[in-house]
Amino acid sequence: MNAKEIIKQAKELDKEYLFFNKIVEDPKVYGEGTLSGTAISVKDCVVVKGVESRAGSKILENYIPLFDATVIEKIKAEGGMIIGKTAQDAFGFGSFATNVGIGMKVPLNPFDKERSCGGSSGGSAGITQKATFNHISIAESTGGSIVCPASFCGVVGICPTYGRVSRYGLMDYANSLDKIGAMAKTIEEIALIMRIIAGHDPRDSTSLDKPVPNYSESIKKPIKGMKIGMIKEAFGEGLDKEVKDNVKQAIKRLESQGAKVEEVSLPLTSKYALECYYLIAMAEASTNLAKYCGMRYGAEEKVEGSFNEYFSKVRSQYFNAESKRRIIIGTFARMAGYRDAYYLKAMKVRTKIIEEYKKVFKKFDALICPTMPVIAPKFTEIEKLTPMQNYMMDILTVGPNLAGLPHITIPSGTKDKMPIGTMLIGDHLAEDKLMQIGAKLKAN
Amino acid sequence: MKFTTPVVIGLEIHIELDTESKMFCGCPRSGDDTPNSRTCPICLGHPGSKPVLNKKAVEYGIKLALATKSKIAKELIFSRKSYFYPDMAKNYQISQYEVPLAEKGKITLPNKKIVNLTRIHLEEDPASLVHPAGMQSSSYVLVDYNRSGDPLAEVVTEPDMTSPEEARDFMRQLITILEYLEIFDINNCIIKADANISIKESGYIRSEIKNITGFKDIEKALNYEIQRQRKEVAEGKTLKMQTRSWDASTGTTHLLRTKETEADYGYIIDPDLVKIDLDKSWIDKIQATMPELAEAKLEKFTKEHGLSEEMAKILSKDKKLALMFEEVAVAVNPDLAAKWIRRELPRVLNYSKKTLEDTGIEAIHLIDLLKLIESKTITEKIGQKIIERLVEKTFDVKAYVEKEGLAAVSDKGIIEKFCKEAIKENPKAVDDIKAGNEKSINFLVGQVMRKSKGKAVPDEVQKILKDLIK
Repeated sequence: MNAKEIIKQAKELDKEYLFFNKIVEDPKVYGEGTLSGTAISVKDCVVVKGVESRAGSKILENYIPLFDATVIEKIKAEGGMIIGKTAQDAFGFGSFATNVGIGMKVPLNPFDKERSCGGSSGGSAGITQKATFNHISIAESTGGSIVCPASFCGVVGICPTYGRVSRYGLMDYANSLDKIGAMAKTIEEIALIMRIIAGHDPRDSTSLDKPVPNYSESIKKPIKGMKIGMIKEAFGEGLDKEVKDNVKQAIKRLESQGAKVEEVSLPLTSKYALECYYLIAMAEASTNLAKYCGMRYGAEEKVEGSFNEYFSKVRSQYFNAESKRRIIIGTFARMAGYRDAYYLKAMKVRTKIIEEYKKVFKKFDALICPTMPVIAPKFTEIEKLTPMQNYMMDILTVGPNLAGLPHITIPSGTKDKMPIGTMLIGDHLAEDKLMQIGAKLKAN
Repeated sequence: MKFTTPVVIGLEIHIELDTESKMFCGCPRSGDDTPNSRTCPICLGHPGSKPVLNKKAVEYGIKLALATKSKIAKELIFSRKSYFYPDMAKNYQISQYEVPLAEKGKITLPNKKIVNLTRIHLEEDPASLVHPAGMQSSSYVLVDYNRSGDPLAEVVTEPDMTSPEEARDFMRQLITILEYLEIFDINNCIIKADANISIKESGYIRSEIKNITGFKDIEKALNYEIQRQRKEVAEGKTLKMQTRSWDASTGTTHLLRTKETEADYGYIIDPDLVKIDLDKSWIDKIQATMPELAEAKLEKFTKEHGLSEEMAKILSKDKKLALMFEEVAVAVNPDLAAKWIRRELPRVLNYSKKTLEDTGIEAIHLIDLLKLIESKTITEKIGQKIIERLVEKTFDVKAYVEKEGLAAVSDKGIIEKFCKEAIKENPKAVDDIKAGNEKSINFLVGQVMRKSKGKAVPDEVQKILKDLIK
């Protein structure tokens, strides 16, 4: 398909499923390489020079970035063609891509339009499932925003080790948790894109200076003798029975290829990861969102009153309810008198959780569990959830995200025609092992 | 803390460090002053941009910590200080909170009093606000982000100072240290102080005066504030903790806000910046590059070179002159060297509006010159003329004196001839001298000096004149 045809299809799909916040009218190809002929969609929160980038929020209306994120630079150099910015929960604040910016669109699940794509990278997952042209999507995860929607839409999604892929150009949700990753239909494409976007970037101080393996080679390796830990707590209460059965079958497939699977317990993570994650994420988010005040870019209003009145007016008008909720909770958690009890305590717990994982990875090559405890819920069901029930959806994904561990979701079956995903979690920088195992996991 | 003195003063000083680039991006720290010309997505706080630490700024901060004998932290940790203000690109400032770069330093004042430093930390400067019609009456402000992200070192003192004079002396000492370390350039870096001041009569209810620039203004602002606080107390008013601004043009302070509670900045550790080990080997490396400071030089100048306390103080304050003195004083009499470096050199530099570096004058020029004076080969007058020419363009002093025939006239006959002429041409002066007006002899000496084109030795001329007139 040529560029014109690709854009035509993207627009048709967008009309039906609302996957995009912005489609590039006349996409350009800059370089030549392993991505030549591949269309790339980009989660709205990753800046693309010259293309309106809003992180899914109305407060960044008409913001045209002056620079490319490092991942975009790398993609362009390899011949990838950027076709548009995908729909997401504003700033990544959500698990269903329903917390979109005021007046913006909620993407619809490719298998059932009454259901969610998952979030926050919902648009990325949807277009990845539906596109018939060569396509890879750049997504981002803070607490599960890649694997959740990838699982709900039946595609492969990888969230790499924290620091593996440069965050330069990513509009921050929670800087100590944000990771740029990718989604594709096949694990081969994931191996390809990861090889390109991973690596050290001097513009991101938290970027890791470690060599990048050839993942396309990794996926070919057999898994005989590899040790996989089945996370005990993830198969307990609250897990949909059919999802559970499906993931157990997936585990059998791995065993049949010579992997050794054993049950492993992560008591601390299971008990505290969710609270710990939300405290840190919201505390950081509340500082990151401070810059959006209608002064230098994005939405603006008539300048009236004191600067405090003006900033408050713009922020009240253009942030959606979930953004406000997280700003308020996050600010509270770092106020004098509460910092010790919430923010600082959460930081300490996080260290303990990382230690728990590190101990487990001394024994196992990877951990396995369902990506999400349920299949994609209907919008009518989501409406009934309280914020707390909403946050509970991330119970399985926040652990690896909090610990900065790479994780991948592979479509492993269906329930009522809706996709189910199985998640593999690896030690820091063990993306190669995840792809090696993941390649053997797909249902035949 | 229990205070007993009539006045208690503590300072928080912001020092702009003289680095090439800004604290967290590659934009130049100084240069083009066209508003918003030295900016990029990082110092403008654009979404997606990330800070990268300028190590030079850290090195400068460590130098200041070492010079003030502060205890340096093991790790460098930056925090986000959150508050909304139009000059803040991100509405948080990257600063340091829980663990500052250094703590517990000290600076000794000229009166030997020690002022303790609570902490030294690094942070980024906000943008600058421009009030087109003055601070009080502008209906809008303009924001210039050229300053946004400049590296600052903040020095916080204990409330150890007891008078405006001490605060002024503290600032002077601090600036001398900064200049010796070459981490601050008074010509293109800003130094600003916030001063906390309280008086005994009020029970030490303090006010904070913001943004005082320059050490002369510190003294003025604090003196004004003491008077204001005393007047309020005398009128029976109860003072409240408050923040005030200093208006240098009127020499007054103005109420900005009363402080009910401490502001809550909701500090979190900046997750975009990694912790940096301030390991011993790095500190040692910096320590090895530390220059001898003014305090040590002062002691050396009095003890080793035998200069007067006053002369030593003046010379040690200026690093360039102090270094010049040390080189010259090994070759010629230290008092002579001090006199010329302290007086003649600055005089001609001031006159030609040049700095020492502009001229290319080095120790060897002064050594040659002063040796010639010491040996009475040339007169001081000729010496002055030579240094004036050296400021324009340097040359070999010895060769120049020979070539131009500037050596002092030692032929007594010639000087006597000039003296006789002068006596003949100025009968009134001669009468005055005879009438007992000794000062008129200087006038005649001047005439003879002119005739000799400065090459006569004034002491000799005077002696000959006296003999002739007697």
